[in-house]
Amino acid sequence: PVTAGSIVVPYGHVIGNEKWRGSEVAQRLQGKVRLIFEDGLGLVDFHLSNRTCILLISEVDLVAGDEFKRRLVRFRNASSLRGIVIVEKTQISDQYYSGVQKFVVLELGMVLLPVANQGEASQLIVQLVSFCVREQSRERGVNPFLRKQRAQLAEPAVLQAVQHIPGVGKTKALLLLQHFGSIHRLCNASISELEQVVGQTVAQQIYTF
Amino acid sequence: SWTPLEHSPSPCILADSREISSGPGVISCLRAVHGLRVQVCSLGTSDYIVSNRLAVDRVFQSELQSPGNRNKLSQRLQRLQGVFERICVIVETDRVRPGETSRFFQRTQHYDGVLSALVQAGIKILFSSCQEETAAMLKELALLEHRKDAAIQAPTEPEGHRRDILNFYLSIPNLSYGAALNLCHSFGSITAVAN
Repeated sequence: PVTAGSIVVPYGHVIGNEKWRGSEVAQRLQGKVRLIFEDGLGLVDFHLSNRTCILLISEVDLVAGDEFKRRLVRFRNASSLRGIVIVEKTQISDQYYSGVQKFVVLELGMVLLPVANQGEASQLIVQLVSFCVREQSRERGVNPFLRKQRAQLAEPAVLQAVQHIPGVGKTKALLLLQHFGSIHRLCNASISELEQVVGQTVAQQIYTF
Repeated sequence: SWTPLEHSPSPCILADSREISSGPGVISCLRAVHGLRVQVCSLGTSDYIVSNRLAVDRVFQSELQSPGNRNKLSQRLQRLQGVFERICVIVETDRVRPGETSRFFQRTQHYDGVLSALVQAGIKILFSSCQEETAAMLKELALLEHRKDAAIQAPTEPEGHRRDILNFYLSIPNLSYGAALNLCHSFGSITAVAN
């Protein structure tokens, strides 16, 4: 079963693949998130929200060969969900990590996060869920890495830029902007127009620049 | 038409001047092992610029561990998002200093929270165990961007008058170093850009 389509995840819940029932990850998740098991999730291990899901790759999967790669490719082709791949990076599977990372992140363009064991995986899932919940509740401002759109005052920046013209310091920059108003008009000013504001030498310098 | 990569100039990476002291292994490895052109300049915003749209920041795993660093990191990445279309963070394992046994990495809840926030913000995350591996990742990223036609093509070392003009462009907010180089290269003068 190659099911990889989206399913409806109730707010604040996690839907886990039936095969993880009773596992260490599941046990550690219980009590921290509301976990529901479902059959037929196919390629996906956990659904965190309607658009984010998790594919777990164990140490054993890594050592066993390329089967996990086929699984990820099948997921990538079949689903438009954001897939987060969590991989068990241990002393044994460490040697495979850089190859897996190149494949998952650079070739497939998916997210890859390493954990040392199932306990760490569950901790990470709890944090991911909390961000999914915030995203759904539109509290996007909470994310410290999302840029808040705020208007920047252009004037100080323009003043800074004008001071990069040779011969122009803060005073002359202010004078020039008072007179010409914008960089656009300053660029198109003739020497004689410039001379009315600054001296002959500087006017020539600005014009050549 | 398909042209083999060997025939096009090797991709160029811009490195921030601070990286000379904090990541000398990365820069020398990029040059010596991978044969890439590395131009060291004062980028200010990011540690590396890999293409016209992709900036890469190198952070130590320990920096993601403690809540004290969060503000600094988030300010830095928010500023980057204003300038670049794509951002990648390379999380490098901390170096083990001579005489020190390998430190045990205790994964904190804060660490997982930071990773989750990065994922949610659409920032690409790569994990590296050392400077050499970081260099290899930068190379892969540069090649990938090269294949997607986003590589930095403009000459990276303007001289004399062009140097002054570059500094003028660099003072424009939210314009990346790469974009400033492109303006320098593509337009004859500032007047041409303004018009």
